[in-house]
Parts: sequence; C-alpha cells; structure tokens
Amino acid sequence: MDDLQEILEDFLVEAFELIEQMDQDLVELESHPEDLELLNGIFRVAHTVKGSSSFLNFDILTKLTHHMEDVLNKARKDELKITPDIMDVVLKSVDMMKALLEAIKESGTDADCGIEIEEICAKFDAISSGKVVETKEIPEVIEKEEAPEANMEDMSDEEVAKEIERLLAQKMEEKLAKKAKKTTKTNITTESAAEQLKEVKAKTSTKETVKPIAKKTPSTPEQTIRVEVNRLDHLMNLIGELVLGKNRLLKIYDDVEERYEGEKFLEELNQVVSSVSLVTTDLQIAVMKTRMLPVAKVFNKFPRLVRDLSRDLEKDIELVLTGEETELDKSIVEEISDPLVHMIRNSCDHGIETPAIRKAAGKSEKGTVNLKAYNEGNQIVIEIKDDGAGMDSEFLKMKALEKGIITEREADLLSDKEAYGLIFKPGFSTAAKVTGVSGRGVGMDVVKTNIEKLNGIIDIDSELGKGSTFKLKIPLTLAIMQALLVSTQEEYFAIPLSSVLETVRISMDEVYTIEGKNVLRLRNEILSLVRLSDLFGVKQIFDSGEHAYVIIIGLAESKMGIIVDGLVGQEEIVIKSMGDYLQGIDGIAGATIRGDGGVTLIADVAAMMHLAKDIKVDLTQQATNSVSQSKSSPSDYNVLIVDDSKTDRTIMRKSLAPLGVTLTEATNGVEALNILKANEISFDAVLVDIEMPQMDGYTLASEIRKYSKYRNLPLLAVTSRTSKSDRLRGVEVGMTEYITKPYSPEYLLSAVSKNIKLPVEA
Amino acid sequence: MSIQLEEVLKNQKGQINGEVGNDIHEENITQLVGFIVGDEEYAIPILNIQEIIKPIEYTRVPSTPEYVLGAFNLRGNVIPLIDLRKKFHLASRNQNNETRYIVMKEGENIAGFVIDKLTEAIRLKESQIEPAPETISREKGMISGIGKRADSILTILKVDMLLKRDF
Repeated sequence: MDDLQEILEDFLVEAFELIEQMDQDLVELESHPEDLELLNGIFRVAHTVKGSSSFLNFDILTKLTHHMEDVLNKARKDELKITPDIMDVVLKSVDMMKALLEAIKESGTDADCGIEIEEICAKFDAISSGKVVETKEIPEVIEKEEAPEANMEDMSDEEVAKEIERLLAQKMEEKLAKKAKKTTKTNITTESAAEQLKEVKAKTSTKETVKPIAKKTPSTPEQTIRVEVNRLDHLMNLIGELVLGKNRLLKIYDDVEERYEGEKFLEELNQVVSSVSLVTTDLQIAVMKTRMLPVAKVFNKFPRLVRDLSRDLEKDIELVLTGEETELDKSIVEEISDPLVHMIRNSCDHGIETPAIRKAAGKSEKGTVNLKAYNEGNQIVIEIKDDGAGMDSEFLKMKALEKGIITEREADLLSDKEAYGLIFKPGFSTAAKVTGVSGRGVGMDVVKTNIEKLNGIIDIDSELGKGSTFKLKIPLTLAIMQALLVSTQEEYFAIPLSSVLETVRISMDEVYTIEGKNVLRLRNEILSLVRLSDLFGVKQIFDSGEHAYVIIIGLAESKMGIIVDGLVGQEEIVIKSMGDYLQGIDGIAGATIRGDGGVTLIADVAAMMHLAKDIKVDLTQQATNSVSQSKSSPSDYNVLIVDDSKTDRTIMRKSLAPLGVTLTEATNGVEALNILKANEISFDAVLVDIEMPQMDGYTLASEIRKYSKYRNLPLLAVTSRTSKSDRLRGVEVGMTEYITKPYSPEYLLSAVSKNIKLPVEA
Repeated sequence: MSIQLEEVLKNQKGQINGEVGNDIHEENITQLVGFIVGDEEYAIPILNIQEIIKPIEYTRVPSTPEYVLGAFNLRGNVIPLIDLRKKFHLASRNQNNETRYIVMKEGENIAGFVIDKLTEAIRLKESQIEPAPETISREKGMISGIGKRADSILTILKVDMLLKRDF
C-alpha cells in the first residue's frame, strides 16, 4: 500500500503542475487557435492524466479526461474548430479535473466526491460527434504533416504509462522479497526504489517536453534541486545573525578609529572590516535570491481570470503581462496573490467599459489591462493599468458621503488622490448592484490590509476617460530590511524605510489645527501630524524647541507626518521576534539588535497610523505650555561638583555656600556619570575638573552630551589648564563655560548663578 | 597528598551514594533557587532557570503595564524584562550590586525577571513543601507551594504563571 501511496503522491504533484500549464495553454490557444503546437501540448496533458488515473483506478477522472481527449484529438486532427463555446466546455472540464484531483488528495479516491461529470461528458460527446460544431466558418488550412508527428508523441505517452506499470511491478517484487527477510532495511530500499521511479519518470518527462520544444527553440533542461523552505528560513536566520554581527563590527571600528587615530593597525583593521562587511552583504543577497520566485507564479493565473471575467461581463478585455520574470521573496509572492486578483477584477469590472460605450467614446472596442512588474531600488513595483473609464473624484466623494464613510467637511478637504483612496475603505462600493464580480465593498479592503501587512504602498493615478493606474510598491524581502532610525527624547525607534516617503524639518509655526487635529501643509497636501513620543507614551523630559523633524510615512494609500526629535540614520536591521510575552503590542512590529548590542523597537507603521487617530494632544498648545518645574527656593537647585581633590571640592563648596543651592559631590567622571544616570536628582549645572582618574573631564562632558536630556545642561569646566588648545577642546566636547584656577569665590558664584538662571532675590 | 586525595574521593563517593540512596529510598527531592524580592524569600525550580545575569541595559516597550520594564538582548535574542517588585506591588527600588536578572524558561516562553538578591540553591524534600494556603490571593495563582525549612519558610512560585502574559 505504501508504494502505491508514493505513486499517488507523485501523480498528484505532476497532475497539478500539468493542469496549471494546461490552463495557461488553453487561454493562449483561444487567441491563437491555429497553433498546433499548443493543441498538441494540451492533448498530451489530457492523455497523460488519463493514462495515470486509469492505472490508479480513478474511474471518474479517467472518464472525464477520456472525453476531453476525444474532443482535443479531433481538434488536433483538424476535424473540429475550437470555438469559444467549446473552449468554455473544455475550461470547465479542466476546473472539474482540478476539483477531482483535490478530492483525491483529500480522500485518496475520486468516487463519491459529489462531482457530477455526466453532463459535461455528454457535452463532449456532442461536440465530438459534431452536433454543436459550428461549421459555418471556413475551416482553416493546417498542414497535415504534423499528424504523424503527433502520433509519435502518442506513443511516448503510452510508454510512460507502461514504464510506471513496470516499475510498480518491480517495486512490489522487491518489497515482497524484503518483507520476507523482515529486516529494517525495507524502508531504505523502498525509498531507493521510489527514487529510481522518480528518476525514470523525470527522464521520460524530459523526453516528453524536450522533444516538441527542440523543434523550434533548443533549450537545456533546468539545473535545479528542490529544497525545503524550512532550511532556507533557517539559513536566512543565520544570515540575520551575521548581519547583526557585521553592524556591531562596524560600530566598534568607528569607535576604535576615533580613539586611535593615525595608528598603523587601523588600516589593517579597516581592510578586514570592509571585506567582512562586503562578503556578508553578498552572502545576504545570495541567500535572499534562493528564496526568490518569479512573479510569473502569480501572474500566470490571471489570463484565465481575465478571460472568464470578460465572458461574464460581456466585455472584450485583453490582459498584457510584462516583467513576469521579476523576482520576489517566496512569502511575499504568496501574500500578493489575493490582492492582485481583487485589483484585476476591479479593473475589469469598474475600469474597462462595455464595447458599446468604448466605441461611443472613440476608443477601440477591446479594452486592455496591463499587469507589469519591475524593480525600483529596494522595492518591487507591480503596476495594474487599464485604459478604461478612469475615476471621478467627485463621484467617489459623493458615494462615500452617501455611505457615511466621510463627513461633508472631510469631503471638501480631500484632494483627488485622497478621493481615489476612498475605494479602499471597507464597505465602499460604487457598483449599483451586487454582482458575482463586485459590489460588496470587500475586495479593495482586502488589498489594503494585505499590502499594509507587507509594508507596501499603494499609489493611484487616474484620468477620467483615459484609465487608471495602480502601483503597488512592495519591499523585496521581509526578514532583513532597511530602516530609518529616529530618536524621541531618550528612546530610539526604527521605522521601515519602505514606508518613509521623506523627512522634512519644519518650524512649529507651520503646524495648523483643523478640528482639534494638528496638520502640516506640505506642498499641496495636508497631512495629519503627531509626535512619536505621544504615540509611544515617551515621557517629555526636555522640550524639542522651535523646530522639529517630521517623517512623512506612507502606507497603502494613506500618509501622515510623525514628529521626532532626531534622525539617527539609515541602517539595515534584522527583525527579531520579542517572544510570546511581548507579541502583538500595539504599534510595535518587532525588535532588532543594534550595533551597540542594545535592543531597538521597530515601529509598525500601519498600527501607528491607527493609534494616531486617538491622539488628542495639541502641539501648538504644548509648545507654549511647557513650564519648567517651579523652584521656589535656592535649595531646589542642584549642582554637581566633580573633582578628585578633596581640597578643591571644599573650596568650591565654600564659594557656592552663599547661593544656598544644594550641592552633590563626585570624585571622578565615572562616579559623576553614574549619579546622572541614576536620575534621582535633576541637576541644573555640573562643575567639572579636567584632570581626574578613571574618566577625565573632557570624556565626561562628551558622555553627558550623548543624552538628549542633558543637551542643554550647563557644564562648567573648572581647571588649571589654561592653554588655548585646552579651551578649544573644552568647547568641542560641549563645555558651557571654562573657569581657570585659581578663581575668586565671587567669580565662581556669579558664573554658577548665571548658568542655573537663579532668580535674583528681590 | 595521596591520603588527602583519597579522603576527598571517599567523601565524594559517599556523597554520591548518599544522594542516590536518598533519591531512591526516601522521597523525591526538588531543587530550587532562592531569591529575595522586597522582604520575602521566594524560590523557583532550578530546571526553569536558563541563566542568571547581572543587570544590563534594556529598552522600554510602550503600551505595556508598569511591571514590564522592556526588552533586553541576551546573546542575540530579544527577551522581555519584568520587575518582580512592581509585579508584586512593592515599592520600587533602584538596582544595586546585588540586583540580578533571572532568565526563566517554560517551554517556548522565556523572560527575564529583576530580583533584589539571590540567596542559594535549595534542596527540599516533597514532605517539606505544602500547598499554598487558599487565603493567599494577592498573587493570584502564582504560588505553587510553601517550602518549610528549619529556620524559615519560602514561597515557591509557579514559573508558567509568571511567564503568562496577563495584559
């Protein structure tokens, strides 16, 4: 039973592949009915399936394919002309073959699966006996010399069937022999027998396919092996780790370069680092490529779809495919299939007009839908373009108002492009009645959700009367991506670069308020605006000031602006799961590990847009409202003294005593930094000695300045180093003031009180 | 030297035999690791501990309860970090030299927990562990039992409950 199961599995795999091919060929055949080559190919498929299914005792499938074969054979011998009506029957029978095969896959038999084939068999009979054949048309002349050729192929098919039979018999024998021995080797040998079988099958099938092709275009068989997707996933994970290692190495190199400037070993290190980084990148691309599949995998089912649609809708539509060879990550190819089906249905149903209308508009009766795929940078673009009616933004707005999707005020504010975007809203439909093809208002919502899932962007262009173009921009791969790293207060976030449209620096004056929401006018667009820190509940430690960086993010068809405090840069990041415990947090898509070993969260752009709707913080109000914590007495002010000498610390303490401010002491840079990091006291100024053990004043200052919240903290260098270069270095690392020893107590006092903005007592 | 060595070996042998004997002839022994959070001593089964590390930097994760401090990088894996003081509704305290992260694991779930101080590895016989009194409801099913020792008692926590997301 086991080996029969194996044969069955092989049969199913082969049959599904063959039928997929058949589907394409049939649609092709309809436009080139005289192509005997195609017809022969289709006939062979029917024949092969018939042969194997009769061998495996699938009677219903055999009967169906037998009838189909009859008709095709007649057509092949030019006794029958393939009309669209006959094609309908043939295509329907192909669908039935698929259904039967599915049933076999499920239950192992095609009996009692509830698929009725009698009717279609009768139709086939009628066709082949010539009753429905339209003989009105003049039969086309086809060279008769092709016939014997076809017979030969006939033979080879029978050979295949025989070969399978022979091998099965052989395997049965082997198995019986092994069973008698009752050794554990049984499995291995049957496996090898199965392999043998596969090999032979492969050979015969190459024989089959190569022969007809060889007549026209000589081609070599593909040199491929099948690999489990799991293995590729694992490989991809490992590469991810390597990329993280590379990032880390680059970061360390940068640090080392800064510290040991001009040292000889640096150059050597540089060479190693760059070569490792280069190889890693290449490796990453190579592995990514192994996961790539041509878009054709998805595209190929569309000719049939369009053909059926145009028959249903009584329109004349031609689908033109370009760039099918463009490659995409396997997981993405699977995800875009559904959205594309909906987009194409949409174009055929709403885009292309009926032949009569087209003629009246002065267009050719045949409408065209172009489906095109091409690469653009790190993205792949899939373009669906029709030469139909185009979209009327006013009409769309009206419909949306009718259905209560938008308010009148919103409608007024919408630009043309935004109005086109309305078609992606759930429940939106312009169809007057629900048909088999459209009208439920679900399809385009599916498109939007799926494209969002992939971090993709939908761009719509339309001209009334000329047609519409939809562009889907999708990242090439999901595991490793380019991200823009941004900071808000002390926290960093990574935003997928595929969703970032641009970054701009604005002044807070440019922020307007419409209906309680902040918006930014960017060129001709009005974009809603939120602060990243409000989205993610980051505490406002310091005020970002007059200017702000805005990141314009786009997802599917919508756009918005996000205010951040700083742009860190672009980096290649590897998406890591945060485990079950932190899975599915709103607004967070995952985490990544940065070059410094820290964890950075990756923003989920779709969720961010959703979160933004509920944010009611008025930025224009906040800018003026930011009042610093009230400090009533001088002792509310905190000053940190960092000096290794006890005497110096005492002198400073004594000098500052009249001010009455609270003083904290640290004996070296490390200690001071820890006090600041602990964040227990918020300091108003720091007095720093330059020469200290463990960490000197310069290093301390530059470390302090790394924290955004201490960006404006007054740092006063108190030192006996007086040379100009020392002063310059002080400015470089961010010292606010440079006080040279010895100093008068009054001088220090005034410098400190000036810097902490101590109110002069009245 | 050789005498000393022999003695050591003999001791070790005795220990091994003794242990084996204990396990077989007496009752099952549970190995736990004890730690302190606040004023109380807690313990978790040693087999649930992946590792114990000194505090390292972590990243805050938004939209989580206060006791979820964030996530940290443990040799390339992103692990959630949970503050047990906050989880047990105790006043928070700054980390010090004795603070540790215990990385606990139960099946696929993994998380780091901030504790105040490690105590020791503890071996308890089954008879020394009592089921949690029903009146204790504060930690809602987080307690698997109470361990009795000569001079103290300790609360044995359920790791699977600790690792369960409850928000």
